[in-house]
Amino acid sequence: MKRRLLCAILLAAGLLAACSRQRASPTTTSSSTQAAVAPTQAPAPSGPAVLHEGWTENPDTLNPAYAYLTQSYTIFDLIYNGLTTESPDGKYVGALAKDWSVAADNVTWTIHLKEGIKWHNGEDLKASDIAWAINAVMEHPDWWSSTSNYANGFKEVTAPDDHMVQIVTEYPIANMEYRLSFLYAVYPPDFNKFTSAEELQNFNNFNAIGTGPFKINVFDKDKGILILDANQDYFDGGPHIDQMIFQKFDNADALIQALKVGDIDLISEVPATAFETIKSYAGVQAVKEDGRYFNELILNSVAETNDPAPKRNPAILDPAVRLAIASAINKQDLVDVVLQGIGSPGDTIVPPTLGGGFWHNPNIQEVKFDIAAANKILDDAGYKAGADGVRTDGKDRLEFRLQFPTQNPVYPRIADMLASNFQQIGIKADVEAVDTDSLTAAVTPTGDYDMVIWGWGPDPDPDFILSVLTTDQFISGGWSDSGYHSPEYDQLYLDQQEAIDKSQRQQIVWKMQDMVFNDRPYIVLYYEKLLQAYRSDRFTGFIESPLGIDIAQSLLNVTAVK
Amino acid sequence: MSRRDYLLRKLGFSLMTVVIVLVINFVLFRILPGDPVRAVIGRNVRISPEVQQALRVQFGLDKPVFPDQFLDTVGQWARGNLGISWSLRRPVKDILLAKLVNTVILIGLGQIFAIVLGVVLGLLAGWKRKSAVDVSALTFSLIAWAVPTFWLGIILLAAGSSWLGLPTGGIVSPANVSKPLYAVLPDLGRHLILPTLTLTILYLGEYMLIMRSSILEVLGEDYILTAKAKGMSQWQVLMRHGLKNAMLPIVTLIALNLGFTVSGAIYIETVFSYDGLGKLFQDALTKQDYPLLQGAFLLLAVSVILANMSADVLYTYLDPRVKAN
Repeated sequence: MKRRLLCAILLAAGLLAACSRQRASPTTTSSSTQAAVAPTQAPAPSGPAVLHEGWTENPDTLNPAYAYLTQSYTIFDLIYNGLTTESPDGKYVGALAKDWSVAADNVTWTIHLKEGIKWHNGEDLKASDIAWAINAVMEHPDWWSSTSNYANGFKEVTAPDDHMVQIVTEYPIANMEYRLSFLYAVYPPDFNKFTSAEELQNFNNFNAIGTGPFKINVFDKDKGILILDANQDYFDGGPHIDQMIFQKFDNADALIQALKVGDIDLISEVPATAFETIKSYAGVQAVKEDGRYFNELILNSVAETNDPAPKRNPAILDPAVRLAIASAINKQDLVDVVLQGIGSPGDTIVPPTLGGGFWHNPNIQEVKFDIAAANKILDDAGYKAGADGVRTDGKDRLEFRLQFPTQNPVYPRIADMLASNFQQIGIKADVEAVDTDSLTAAVTPTGDYDMVIWGWGPDPDPDFILSVLTTDQFISGGWSDSGYHSPEYDQLYLDQQEAIDKSQRQQIVWKMQDMVFNDRPYIVLYYEKLLQAYRSDRFTGFIESPLGIDIAQSLLNVTAVK
Repeated sequence: MSRRDYLLRKLGFSLMTVVIVLVINFVLFRILPGDPVRAVIGRNVRISPEVQQALRVQFGLDKPVFPDQFLDTVGQWARGNLGISWSLRRPVKDILLAKLVNTVILIGLGQIFAIVLGVVLGLLAGWKRKSAVDVSALTFSLIAWAVPTFWLGIILLAAGSSWLGLPTGGIVSPANVSKPLYAVLPDLGRHLILPTLTLTILYLGEYMLIMRSSILEVLGEDYILTAKAKGMSQWQVLMRHGLKNAMLPIVTLIALNLGFTVSGAIYIETVFSYDGLGKLFQDALTKQDYPLLQGAFLLLAVSVILANMSADVLYTYLDPRVKAN
């Protein structure tokens, strides 16, 4: 989860390379019997089949305790397994787990493992290894900072025998399958020797031993080369390709040229500006999938009682002003100009891709872009245009700061477009680019802003993005930037966490989206698409899904073209 | 003033400059907004205040900036310890040294080609002033000098990889990644062609233009007329009296360029994904890796100062007037 935000921040910081933008969250590996698609072709008959993937950022580390970049999770997905994994259709299937069930008490989970699972070094994986790995996270949540939240609320994890894991939780956990997909089975001898958080987090694990369908050959971070060999002993059947090579390119133009001339076979993230060009390349297939990343306009919703007291134009709290602002935003225009048309206008904080669309509230009626209506709302609310065209109700003038983190290349454009629309309804927006660090400090937990443009890349489960709007996240180091504070919303958040019944949870999640949509701490601007491309003259069998074509389940299905 | 005094004075100035750079280097990164620890951990809520504090202690950020942090940092620098990179978690000195080798190979090759070609072209152009050679060399040089680095790199990359099958990036092929560079020289060479060519073109124009104007100035001097009057051949005049004197501005330029190319390679290394110092600078900046940035800035400053000093030293040999003064 945090990783996702970090991605959002890095994105905001202009490190577009750092995270696959709208890239669906990485999943663990599986081609379990429940995974839908079977291989379509036999392996290439001659010579090793090597798939080259190009990207613009290296994994920050291969240590799951402290990994934040999406690239790390792409690799984890290939070399490690969790007990479960998200399949391309958004449902969770078994990875290491053959089956799982929860007892009538809703807190005791019993998980049976598949047979014949081996570590990359040939040793047998035992249930006790998995229990050790999860216990390590539970014992030192601050050491395992990038996975610890997945074990929140776990009371006891044991291995009654070699093929069974039992998890007892403190309270019912609704999204257990999702959490288990990120609690990777790490090789205990690699991780049981550390005596402090610093030691553990400095361990880069470049020779990781896992159970996944690929194993590490070499990772040279300086030269930007990571080579994985196929694990032919993989318990669900090995890959049909022999090797995967990941190569880092320091600029997107070179990356695209590399695909064109065939130096690489796959691009994990195609810039929107290059998508049309790539479509015209011979022997190249460009893939466009719904993504998870969205950008939003944050409206200061910080409580008056916050310490320190929020600094803002109080008019930003007026529901009429908020509605008028929403009506004055032309989201389709933003998509067309900023995303070159590759994206879709957004409405709620839960993108339509989460859980295969299960969590997105389809009943939300988007506020229509209508300048005249927006003007009328402000007229009715008593805001009259002054001599300079800026409205005021005699007390508050509708002039707001409109800030955005500096290094993101598209935010200045969005800000200009918003400001010019706002001008048409008598709202003056003072556009200001702010260094990411300073903006973070000004926003949370200080509340010194009016409107801010920023983005998020939610986890596959809605829990994380919903948590961002809870009251207690508005603390130093917390996730909330809007300062939204609704006791009702907070209670619903707790309810959905414990709602074991999926459709009951869905109703709560929908309700929460409604609240955010109507109270407008966020105005979601648009959802981005996941853009990828591969050499279809060399490889075939990729499974297209919002998770990307380079997830383990897809790569297990890939074969070289004869 | 004797040559010894002259050199000592230059050395003194250089050392003073280094000290000033050190101070600026230290202050610069501490007046930047934001908490470095926060920059390292991102917005990771799971890192407890205790762990954050431990990081501060580790980086020495818990002590007052002055005098404790300053004295500590300077002391470490004096002992050759540039600290640990926050993002790469390795000693800054080791990282810089490893990348420096790669950058020196690239810059060295590019500069040598640019200097040789530029000087020869400039000489020819100046000598055969207003001829077709002059006009075309001049036109080419002006364009090459004016072209943006990034753009030229991308164009050459596209052309070279499409038509000649040259690599689109990296320093060696993935298959050779585990081998030492000297064992894979042909592969390294293939990866060097395009970046070196880019660098050569970019600097060639500058050398050619300076050389041309310098030789034109020299050819108008009285001693050239005297040499001609003595009956020396055109070639002898040019080589014996023209070239040596015309080289003075070139020496200055070479020294300046060598000093700055360490940073000037940022664009070229980024275009060609070349594992060198320039790319490291960029990474360190975007990741706010202060120890690495400080080390890199220090290296950059020292190399510029060193290059200038060597130009001064060279001058004492090339220009009798410096000795006389």
